[in-house]
Amino acid sequence: MADLQDDPYDTDTTAAAGDLDATSPRPAAESAAPTDTASVATSASSAERARALLSSHPVVDGHNCLAPTLLRRRGASHSHDLEQGDSFLDTDMPRIKAGALGGQFWSLEVDADEVRTGRAVSTTLELIDLVRDLIASYPESLRMALGAGDLADARNCGRVASLLGPVSGPAMGDSLATLRAFHLLGVRALALAGARWADDGLSRFGHEVVRELNRLGVVIDLSGASDETMRATLAVTKAPAMFSHSAVRALGDRPGDGGVPDDILTLLGANNGICMVSFAPDQLTRDPAARDGKSPSLTEVADHVERVRDVAGPACVGLSGTYGRESDTPHTVGLEDTSCYPRLITELLDRGWDDTAVTDLTWGNAARVLRDTEFLARAAQQRRSPSTVTIEELDDARR
Amino acid sequence: MGTEDYLEQARELLEDFPVVDGHNDLPWALREQVSYDLDRRDLADDQSAHLHTDIPRLRAGGVGAQFWSVYVRSDMAGDTAVSATLEQIDVVGRMIARYPDDFAAARTADDMENARRTGRIASLMGAEGGHSINNSLATLRALYALGVRYMTLTHNDNLAWADSATDEPGVGGLSPFGHEVVREMNRTGMLVDLSHVAATTMRDALATSTAPVLFSHSSARAVCDHPRNIPDDVLELLPANGGVAMATFVPKFILPEAIAWTRAADENMREHGAHPLDTTESGMRIHRAFEAVNPRPAATAATVADHLDHMREVAGIDHIGIGGDFDGTAFTPEGLQDVAGYPNLVAELLARRWSPEDLAKLTWHNAVRVVRAAEDVARVLREERGPSTATIGELDG
Repeated sequence: MADLQDDPYDTDTTAAAGDLDATSPRPAAESAAPTDTASVATSASSAERARALLSSHPVVDGHNCLAPTLLRRRGASHSHDLEQGDSFLDTDMPRIKAGALGGQFWSLEVDADEVRTGRAVSTTLELIDLVRDLIASYPESLRMALGAGDLADARNCGRVASLLGPVSGPAMGDSLATLRAFHLLGVRALALAGARWADDGLSRFGHEVVRELNRLGVVIDLSGASDETMRATLAVTKAPAMFSHSAVRALGDRPGDGGVPDDILTLLGANNGICMVSFAPDQLTRDPAARDGKSPSLTEVADHVERVRDVAGPACVGLSGTYGRESDTPHTVGLEDTSCYPRLITELLDRGWDDTAVTDLTWGNAARVLRDTEFLARAAQQRRSPSTVTIEELDDARR
Repeated sequence: MGTEDYLEQARELLEDFPVVDGHNDLPWALREQVSYDLDRRDLADDQSAHLHTDIPRLRAGGVGAQFWSVYVRSDMAGDTAVSATLEQIDVVGRMIARYPDDFAAARTADDMENARRTGRIASLMGAEGGHSINNSLATLRALYALGVRYMTLTHNDNLAWADSATDEPGVGGLSPFGHEVVREMNRTGMLVDLSHVAATTMRDALATSTAPVLFSHSSARAVCDHPRNIPDDVLELLPANGGVAMATFVPKFILPEAIAWTRAADENMREHGAHPLDTTESGMRIHRAFEAVNPRPAATAATVADHLDHMREVAGIDHIGIGGDFDGTAFTPEGLQDVAGYPNLVAELLARRWSPEDLAKLTWHNAVRVVRAAEDVARVLREERGPSTATIGELDG
């Protein structure tokens, strides 16, 4: 029923498709090789279908690092105008609209240097401040989202639901109160990778962090975590876990090095979580030299998406452009910026995906993860009060 | 009228216009004593064995609004200070949530008035020292978003951008970044608290701030010549600025005879390997042993009243208030031992012929007016300019 409430415009897909037909794919079809007529015809109609599906079920994307990029570029001579379009970056409002983005996890991740120099907490607050300011500065495009309801509301008025996070695990300063402060400021996802309590598995304090994340309703992001941490977390968390931007290890150039292994994708399926497949070349390709420096392409992303669907299940796959970077950094061919999602959907339709599978991929699965996280948090808050244990109490005593 | 009559009248006055207290360190005491475990310090019960503050005594004291200090030690820096401040904010939130019939979270002057009308204690927060923002204006804004409504510019030690009253002269008041912090506080609506800062910093901040300032817990230097107190020339600036100086009760700041004693007592603490500001049970044991041999000069409600008389004389009745510093000081004056003591101070002032209208300004109106004025200034400034992204590196080189 909740799904129905979230999808008031489902019946409008045909009308919406007509509206969006302005960007007709036909010229592209005409310029294609004439020998390939049949597949081009399919592709053209697939492109239309993709647009129609995306108009009602836009993409909820797992990871965009625009905030760290803008913070790093602050004070640079070029000032960014995201409303008009900004060729320095792969993300701006016109291309977000063209790409049918409906929800975005804005990454607030800090680099290891900030952690080492004792600035991770305040840099995270800087990033939160920056995203909140972005949302306030582009009210026609962005809208703050704190939960699944906001996700649907933002879509219904044509804005990109903006979720804060993932925050870097080490940036909570090993302090559950700091985590709660981030939550109060709107953060809805935290990446465990890099935290000393989630190094190889979860320490006792790490378990407590997971329980507190569940209690608060902050989505747990396992991208970049060690296999042991992924397993330990999936065993403990009551709420669905998320990989905000990950590829499939089995399809990588060097199996065993990064990405999510199949057995964990199976566990993720049982957990009802979501693996949002990254478009980042360095995640799809660990060893560029082995490919003669060639960038991966859209079809490889589609392969990863299908592998997650096959192993974790169609309810557990999502998308993660990992955009928010400078335009001149390496991008996957065909998925260079935030306008490119429809191309990937077109490819999946050409591969025979049905409408439901596509709309679950773009919207439904992520919306469900947020909703489940919220419901479970509400229940947990009846049972548990805020945890005040410290890492010293739980972990140091055992060392 | 006899003492008892004044006390009776004081209690009646406080029922209508309760005390807005500028500074209470209960959050830090909870951190030090029980690692924030509120189960072990049930504030609904008598906690006089451990704390200056609990709900029954706040009620007996006629407290209607409290700025809870989210202080962290000034030897903390970087993330450690920020994170500890967030922990302090967290415990205040949990405290309010735990006792909803007694505390009401307050972020605005209207919230304060609503709390008064519904018989709760309006709970505001103040950060004590710019080290809590780690040279980051976004962190300042985060503290504001989390409900913090004043920030004392320094604690006992200098910052790179502001001089403390109890440190050697550094930048000579506020650095350019320090001025920017004040401007950004004005824009966000965070009150500038000038307790703890050097007189040079007070003057610099008053020159830059377009909103009223406050002194959350400072008394008059002309009455007791301690650097933590406010010089007359600064008190004289308050009417033009519109701010409020909230007199504190800390004996070592307000009683001239206590200054030398405190110096010796602090030295004794250090000799025993304790921080002079340590008010935990072990710290207090050291203090009491010292006190047994060296009788402590006692401040009283009259000592505080002497300061208020002078501050009223210099700054005016519209620019004074009360900031007890309970649970932030090892010793308290006789009659003002804990948060139940405010009626004794009001009775003392009644005996000195302060009128009910004067007392209502002192206890309630002045502080609420300043909170409201900061909101008004922020509303205008936010229309004029966006959040400042200045860095200390850019401004101070």
